Amino acid sequence: MTQRSLFAYRGTSTGHTDAILAVFAFVGFVGVWSLISAFEIVPQRFLPLPWKVIGALWGMLVERNFIEDIWISVARVWSAFLLSVFLAIPIGIWMSSYRIVGAALEPIVDFIRYLPVPALVPLLIIWFGIGEASKIAVLFMGTFFQLALLIADDTKRVPREFIEIGFTLGARPRHITRDIVLRSMLPSMVDNLRITLGWCWTWIIVAEIVAANSGIGHVIWSMRRFVRTPEVMAGILTVGIIGLATDQLIRFLHRRYFRYL
Amino acid sequence: MDEHAPFLRVAGVTKTFDAEGAAHAPIRVIDNVSMNLAAGEFAVYLGPSGCGKTTLMRIVGGLETATGGEIYLAGKKVVGPDRKKGMVFQAYTSFPWLTVLENIRFGTKYRKDINAGEKDEITRYYLDLVDLTDFADFYVNRISGGMRQRVAIARTLAAGPDILLMDEPFGALDAQTREFLQYQLLEINRVERKSVIFVTHDVEEAVFLADRIFMFSARPATIIEEIRVADHIPGERTMTTKETEAFFHLRNHVRDVMREQSVRVEEALTAERGSE
Repeated sequence: MTQRSLFAYRGTSTGHTDAILAVFAFVGFVGVWSLISAFEIVPQRFLPLPWKVIGALWGMLVERNFIEDIWISVARVWSAFLLSVFLAIPIGIWMSSYRIVGAALEPIVDFIRYLPVPALVPLLIIWFGIGEASKIAVLFMGTFFQLALLIADDTKRVPREFIEIGFTLGARPRHITRDIVLRSMLPSMVDNLRITLGWCWTWIIVAEIVAANSGIGHVIWSMRRFVRTPEVMAGILTVGIIGLATDQLIRFLHRRYFRYL
Repeated sequence: MDEHAPFLRVAGVTKTFDAEGAAHAPIRVIDNVSMNLAAGEFAVYLGPSGCGKTTLMRIVGGLETATGGEIYLAGKKVVGPDRKKGMVFQAYTSFPWLTVLENIRFGTKYRKDINAGEKDEITRYYLDLVDLTDFADFYVNRISGGMRQRVAIARTLAAGPDILLMDEPFGALDAQTREFLQYQLLEINRVERKSVIFVTHDVEEAVFLADRIFMFSARPATIIEEIRVADHIPGERTMTTKETEAFFHLRNHVRDVMREQSVRVEEALTAERGSE
């Protein structure tokens, strides 16, 4: 029965079998990679063996103080992300709560949102130099405008009846925002924050490759110059692991705190 | 306040919506409707779908403004929504992030006339009145639709309204649940004695619940007939009222009047399509 429903269209399965499948798929992936590399179907200079990559990561951590670069990138991502979040949440909610804010901001935000972030990097470097400010600016440009619109959409999706019920229970607009709108949209907002945080990791690597002398992106780029493929891949792997871990943590908290869903 | 003024006075209310595009004339949905309601009286607005009866109820609740006319509730002019005019909608509006108990307590959240202890007391009282004490700690997504509507009713009552405005509150429920909740609503209001405006297009529901039925025409809504149910069905409404001859008789009369209106709605829609 279990096997049958695994293959059925939109079939069901248990968490246990899901976990087993995930492990098998992962082992299979690493296995195929190892074979391609071991038999040099692709030269090892381009595709090193998996354990060479792990070894390179270990070496970077022990000998090159890579942990500090990781820490620098994490700090940049989180400071820019939090700045975006603290501005985007109130602005997004106001955009959908008051016509005057929405009508005025929506066209501007929508326009800037479509500007490709890499195209802004040179401009931001002219404005902010090559220090921390320009990295924060790149990440901010890449996330704030998208996030404000996502938050505005979340706000719009709060059922009109919830808000009307609020008024007929004697609530004032600020009560409705705090006690009804924010609470109602919270689960989808957390989802959007999680997704936006993922984008931050894309932009930080772009920013660090272009102009930086520290951070994961900088390490990846400088290793490339010596064609140290295992180190380059180890850098990429690090970003992946951090992303996956954060994502899973937020998902876990989501399940834990929104149990009513 | 005039001693003899009615509890609720709807005086010459008119509502028009601006149609899209300048070429179309504004749409009149309510045409000069006047009605009164005594304190504790249960009124049903009955009419074909889309006739404007819900809009009128929302104007009474202060959620929409009339184009013309005025509404007075307990001597005060209605200018906007507040906790004196409680609403229950057809859509489930109990908050999913709160438990049954917390939802009902939310009704008292913005009251300044009572302290925290009294709020707890009122919450418990209404929880018991709608018979949900055993489900107090359930999130509302875990309980049935009928129970969710009872939560919504209790929450509204906990806010201490003067009048209860109900917009097809049982419209989304299955037939058995609906019948049970109709009965329970009458039971609750035997205790509460609130004035109620209940909007529906279900003839049987109207006849069973109402002290007075206001029958509305197709758009633009006008009151075409007003029925004092006690003149036709004597005594208290019970589970078996729906099987009495008096009930059948009144229901058939109301149904015939409503059918005529439904035909008019169909004709109007056909004409609208023909002219395009």
